[in-house]
Amino acid sequence: MNRLIAALFAATAAVASPAIASPAIATFPPETQAKVDALSPEKKAFVDDAAALAGFGLTPDKLAVEFAKRSAADVDAYVGALMAVVADSKFQPGSDAGEIALNPNASNFNASTVLRPAMFDKLWREPGPFSLDRYMYQKGGIPTFAHAPVAIRREDLIAGKVEVAFVGVPADFSSGWRDAKHGPALLRAMGGLVGSEVDSLVNPNVELRLADYGNLAIDYMAPERGLDHIQMMIRDIATTGAVPFIVGGDHSISFADIAGVVAAYGKGTVGLVQLDAHPEDDEEGDHRITDRQTTARLLSDGIVAGKDIVQIGLRGPAADAATLKRLRDEGVRYHTMAAVAERGWEAVSDQVIEQARAGPANVFVSFDMSVLDPSAAAGVGRPVPGGLTMREATPLVRRLCAETRVVGFELLDPAPVLDPTYQTTMAGNTIMHACLTGIAMRKKGLTQADYANALSAGGK
Amino acid sequence: VFDVCQIGDARGPAPASNARFKATNVAHNGRRSARFFAALLPAERHAMRLTTSSVWAIVGGGVTLAALVAATVAPSQQTAPGAVRPGDALAVEKPLYAPPEPVVIPTDLLSKLQALPAGRLAFVKSGKTRRFAGPETMFERFRKATPAEILAYVDAMISLEDQIQFKPGRDAASIPLAVNSPRFNAWKIKRPAILDPKRQPGPIELGRYIGGYGSGFSTFANAPVALTLEDLKAGKVDVAIVGAPLDMGSGYRNAIDGPKALRVTGGAGGNDMYSMVNPNRELNIVDFGDIAIDQMSTERSVEHIRAEVAAIARTGAIPIVIGGDHSLEYPNLAAMADVHGKGKVGVVHFDSHYDAGRDRVHLIDHGQPVYRVIHEGHVRGRDYIQVGLRARSPDLETFDWMREQGMKYHTMVEVEAHGWEAVMERAVAEAKKNTDKLWISFDVDVLDPAFMPGTGTPVPGGLTMREAQPIMRRLCAENNIVGIDIVEVAPYLDTSYKTALNSNFLLNACLTGIAMRKKGLTAPHYLSPISSEHGQDNYYGAPR
Repeated sequence: MNRLIAALFAATAAVASPAIASPAIATFPPETQAKVDALSPEKKAFVDDAAALAGFGLTPDKLAVEFAKRSAADVDAYVGALMAVVADSKFQPGSDAGEIALNPNASNFNASTVLRPAMFDKLWREPGPFSLDRYMYQKGGIPTFAHAPVAIRREDLIAGKVEVAFVGVPADFSSGWRDAKHGPALLRAMGGLVGSEVDSLVNPNVELRLADYGNLAIDYMAPERGLDHIQMMIRDIATTGAVPFIVGGDHSISFADIAGVVAAYGKGTVGLVQLDAHPEDDEEGDHRITDRQTTARLLSDGIVAGKDIVQIGLRGPAADAATLKRLRDEGVRYHTMAAVAERGWEAVSDQVIEQARAGPANVFVSFDMSVLDPSAAAGVGRPVPGGLTMREATPLVRRLCAETRVVGFELLDPAPVLDPTYQTTMAGNTIMHACLTGIAMRKKGLTQADYANALSAGGK
Repeated sequence: VFDVCQIGDARGPAPASNARFKATNVAHNGRRSARFFAALLPAERHAMRLTTSSVWAIVGGGVTLAALVAATVAPSQQTAPGAVRPGDALAVEKPLYAPPEPVVIPTDLLSKLQALPAGRLAFVKSGKTRRFAGPETMFERFRKATPAEILAYVDAMISLEDQIQFKPGRDAASIPLAVNSPRFNAWKIKRPAILDPKRQPGPIELGRYIGGYGSGFSTFANAPVALTLEDLKAGKVDVAIVGAPLDMGSGYRNAIDGPKALRVTGGAGGNDMYSMVNPNRELNIVDFGDIAIDQMSTERSVEHIRAEVAAIARTGAIPIVIGGDHSLEYPNLAAMADVHGKGKVGVVHFDSHYDAGRDRVHLIDHGQPVYRVIHEGHVRGRDYIQVGLRARSPDLETFDWMREQGMKYHTMVEVEAHGWEAVMERAVAEAKKNTDKLWISFDVDVLDPAFMPGTGTPVPGGLTMREAQPIMRRLCAENNIVGIDIVEVAPYLDTSYKTALNSNFLLNACLTGIAMRKKGLTAPHYLSPISSEHGQDNYYGAPR
């Protein structure tokens, strides 16, 4: 029994500490140990591999129970079956398709992403953002982000010297609940993205040249296939000098968003501040990109270095020991909700700003709505309880956008259908308004730490 | 400016820090992976020079998709180069459409356009211009334009035409997967039996009490659970209900929760008052769990579903597949062809949509299963009966195609013209005549959204429960059912219980029909003489 407890302790220690690479050798009660000793060296090694066992939800303790009731032959078969699962999980050349065939004979193979030249417009217009308002002081009307004028082509952004270009990317491949495709439309239709902000008393709609650049085309049947188009379009927004404000869409687009901005500014010149409950660092997927793999891809493809990534709000099962270990080894500065509990939000917030300021000259802010607590945003694809409040997230986003040079922003994984109220969409717009305000503050030179207007905050 | 093509594509030697992702880095050679992630399509580069926006906007409101696809040019290549496919792969299509209708150049423009180089003039005459501008719009332009402007305009159309079509070397004909992933097949690996305590094969009762009160585990129709084909065989199972939570629909998603919603909501299982038959008593029904799904690829999922559904059917059990989106109709009927032979099974397809879309980039989605089933010969067009169609499609051209296939479609227009009773009789009679084996593919959006708000692509003006239940019961009693599917339940769109309850009652209507048939109650529209009136007098005359 003591050995069992020792084995259990060893297993617990192996999971709890990041030192997964050197697992304790499992030991069993004598009768069971005899069955284990009879195994082939490969099978014995498998039984001793804590990480492999964890993949099956097993520990030496659990195995001891399973082995005790089985004959030696069945123990052998049991381990053989586990090893067969590992082997069979791998790609089998010859019987597995290594790729998903498309229909090259489709007569509109590329049509959804081919851009329409201006010469095919029925009517001529001068390039530049144009208003959809009928009235000087229009209420309602045709919804656009921040009630901004519309830009259809890159020339419109250039002609209008647009500083912030909103763009919807309605990809809908969340590995949780889906409906992110309705994010852009419902955030456009929701308030909260217009007017003065009370801490700074800055009104970004007055200070900045904004445009709503519409939505980008998506292949709704494959997360992989639309990304090159998104990346090109985001790059082409960024190279006009405008800051793309990307409204998702599930998290799989994040790779293309960030790669597009990095393409515009250059590798090593853009840091990533990622507010998200999930590290998105799954590196073993059978697809080359999904919402859970974007950080892993950014790192593996060398688009953003680990040391230039700051993550805030991690919690839930995806932030496991192995993942955090990998992130730490990559140099990623992560701040889990455990860190927030330990050190308090103010301290974490200050440290995030400090780390972002110490990194590359340009910053991309990635805001997955799951970073918020479900009480603040229920309509989210992969919600995790225990997240940030609006009073924590909003000031941090505003500060990031005022105190660092933000060149791109994304708001990801809304699932509005899950929230029958206005709360999620208003929260999303409020977060975007916070960044918009920060960018306007920076333009006005209000970049001191945690700036608040004395008229409003009482001489802070 | 940084070259976007260098990001994320098949890099040369990976930097040391990239070794962690070798699974994908070494995944593929060749140009497909080389341009897969980041590469800027040359077509897109070209388009950016021209300027922006989507070709769909060009056709505007007045021109339909049919007109768009009518303007097809046969691509030079007909198969996906290098695609490794196992035996049951989706068949790549041949080009589908005839060349576009040529345009006639108005006499007043003849001399002006004669100045165009010969190739450009031929392009204008070919009608390929139709997808970019209607002939009248185009000619009006030409009247006002200089010859140089006309040439630029035609060249832009030729360029767009080139960009839109698949071009080998420029476009990827397939989506590469991460073949070095240790989890490549993990999503569909079966759990080895040896991990669990030994047990006799057969349906597993989850009940604890003699009185039949369950133990709190929710199963389809309150049925016992079967995990393996041996369980189905040992239990001589008549009906195996299986979930297939494929969630790639084009409207609202959430079909992923369809099987769960039907399991946790009542309404399936128990006595049917119309027949006074209790399917749970007459039939060996099991909950066969869920079929594994790759939620990032319908194409990958359907191959596995096809094999699983066929395996169920080969045990002699009737598979009832609870979706999941309507793509499932394709693997289900391909499986029936695998088991019973091609052309041996007829179909009744309940749906507000015709689902025979074609000529799309993806070989299967929830708008194409009917086309694909017919195209691959699993079911003959003449054995396809459709009930409840009323969505925006099909257009006239596609109705023509459906008639050419011999399909028997019954739209809500027919219901409006002739009444439900007549349409139901006609569809039931056709089902009996077509084949001696019948599959029912039941998309819950055939019902009015009043009854089924929780569905991905709802369309108003649909069937009522009092119309849908009798035809389900009748089809399942009066035909040899080889399987059914109930698809497109998206519970999050319905904050009430009614979508799941109604779906379960429709499931029970068919289970009842199958049980009635087993008892020999196959008379047309059989209703129980006991429950259909009190019988205290002779009010209705002789019993029906």
